[in-house]
Amino acid sequence: MNETTDTGQVMSFDTMGIQACQRNRYPLLFVDQIVEAVPGKSARGVKCFTYNEWFFPAHFDDEPNVPGFILVECLVQTFIMSFLCMDEYKGKKTNFVSIDNVKFKRKVVPGDRLEVEAALDHFKRGIARGHAESYIDKEPVCQADFVVTIPDVLDGFRPKSSRA
Amino acid sequence: MSNSNKYDTAFIETFQVDAQRLSGLQYQDIKEWDSIGHMQLMSVLEEAFSVELDIDDIIDFSSYEKGREILSKYGVSMADE
Repeated sequence: MNETTDTGQVMSFDTMGIQACQRNRYPLLFVDQIVEAVPGKSARGVKCFTYNEWFFPAHFDDEPNVPGFILVECLVQTFIMSFLCMDEYKGKKTNFVSIDNVKFKRKVVPGDRLEVEAALDHFKRGIARGHAESYIDKEPVCQADFVVTIPDVLDGFRPKSSRA
Repeated sequence: MSNSNKYDTAFIETFQVDAQRLSGLQYQDIKEWDSIGHMQLMSVLEEAFSVELDIDDIIDFSSYEKGREILSKYGVSMADE
């Protein structure tokens, strides 16, 4: 769904819409809904965890909670929607360049609804820099800064000497 | 800092390479100068010299020496320093 406001276009995506924009799939898709995406600027996403998640029985059998790397994926999968929602980048794969300033502030357990707020600070020639924070009931959960690339876009800027 | 020093510093800091290695350095000669490193170098140079490089120039920028030549088109002279 799209709407236009005074500050520009605002979009939202359900699970199928998210999969039309990004290439992550089960069992590694970790955002259920994008409640708001402002192309080239920001995205807000939601991920609901139930005990049916594949990792809970293993992490841990006596104390199920979401592994840290999955929380980081929740953050970045919302973050990349801030530019993958744009027609020219829709459906492209992304790669990490760096993850910095990662902080975890509370445990996430079955039944929790994680809300992620991501901002795209800089995007040029296929390199995106930004940050994301997440909350459960307004309580901070985790945060990180990201640099992510779109390899297809980078390829278009490779110096001639490397093009055989 | 002279333009030439700024140019060298961009390479040294982006690729963590010694100054002695710069002469003759070409794209992909070192692992740090890959497609991502190339974009990082372009951003650093654009900021250092307050220019915006055209796509064709970014693609032509295949060596340390070629880059000096390209930047001269943007009024960044390093010849007489």
